[in-house]
Amino acid sequence: MYGKGLRTLSIATVVAITTSLSLVFFYAPLEAEQGFLQKIFYVHVPLAIIALCGFVLGGLLAIQHLRTRDPRWDMRSYVVIHMSLIFAVGTLITGSIWAKGSWGHWWVWSEPTLVSFLIVFLLYATYQPLRFAIEDPERQARYASVFAITAGAFVPLNFIAVRLSTAYLHPRVLGSTSNLPGPMALTFLVSLLALSLLFATLCKYELTAKHTRAQLRALRRRLSGETTGAPTRPRSAAPSLHHATAPARAAGGSAL
Amino acid sequence: MILATVLAETPALPLHTAGKYVAGAYIVLFALVLIYVAIMAIRLSRIERDLGELLSMSEHDAGPATAGAAHSDEHTQDTQDPQPESTLA
Repeated sequence: MYGKGLRTLSIATVVAITTSLSLVFFYAPLEAEQGFLQKIFYVHVPLAIIALCGFVLGGLLAIQHLRTRDPRWDMRSYVVIHMSLIFAVGTLITGSIWAKGSWGHWWVWSEPTLVSFLIVFLLYATYQPLRFAIEDPERQARYASVFAITAGAFVPLNFIAVRLSTAYLHPRVLGSTSNLPGPMALTFLVSLLALSLLFATLCKYELTAKHTRAQLRALRRRLSGETTGAPTRPRSAAPSLHHATAPARAAGGSAL
Repeated sequence: MILATVLAETPALPLHTAGKYVAGAYIVLFALVLIYVAIMAIRLSRIERDLGELLSMSEHDAGPATAGAAHSDEHTQDTQDPQPESTLA
């Protein structure tokens, strides 16, 4: 089910990333002030945009979970937030490398953009421990959804607050993309598309792997003759797909 | 030879100043993806192992039943006309 279209998506991702790298290094002109260092912009900014959008998407998927009580939405929300966290790590590292090359410091604590992104990252870093702390899968999913919605609403508020702040060193990107010369804007958009495809592909891989493992566990239970009672599983931060409540089952879908 | 031709045709990159930072940033991205692929490979091998276990479990469970079914098949084949062969062969 989740694996459908994975091959096409993977091929599209590889093609898009190859095109993006070719454009970055052999097509986009050198920026007048920063020179070659500006090439980091084509990886750092898309990573940041996708990570933040992923956090918001995780919140939207969590709303869907609370509405339907279908564990599949919780699984999607979990995977999207998990992947966004990895992209956020990439954003912080590439940003620090750029800062070292441009400002001479790995980190500047007086810069609102950097600190606000770190706050968002640390906020979401508590998502996994929160899930792990709750043993009951249904309660875990419900509390995690509430967290994802609250934190997801915090992300755009945080972004607006930083934009309204006056003193900053960090270059503005969103809203000023139209000021980029044509080749640079094209390269940026292709990079954004390529990394978005990478994000979608990795999410799909993760969902497929988790779904396959859930199916394997169900098969193992069936073969070992366990037909009644809730399935036992080791304590985990990952969502369980086996606590489908009455509305989800009544809707005609299986627990998976 | 093709690689040498491509490298000769491509414009030279100014790697002397900011090259190490740019290389570092792109290597970070590459490393993150590589680590993820490695984790997925570990998971895949675990799934493969689990599938193997389940397969042997199902073969073990189905063993006596298959033997019984084979016996009854022999009995029914004696009394019925032979089925047409598969066209996939």
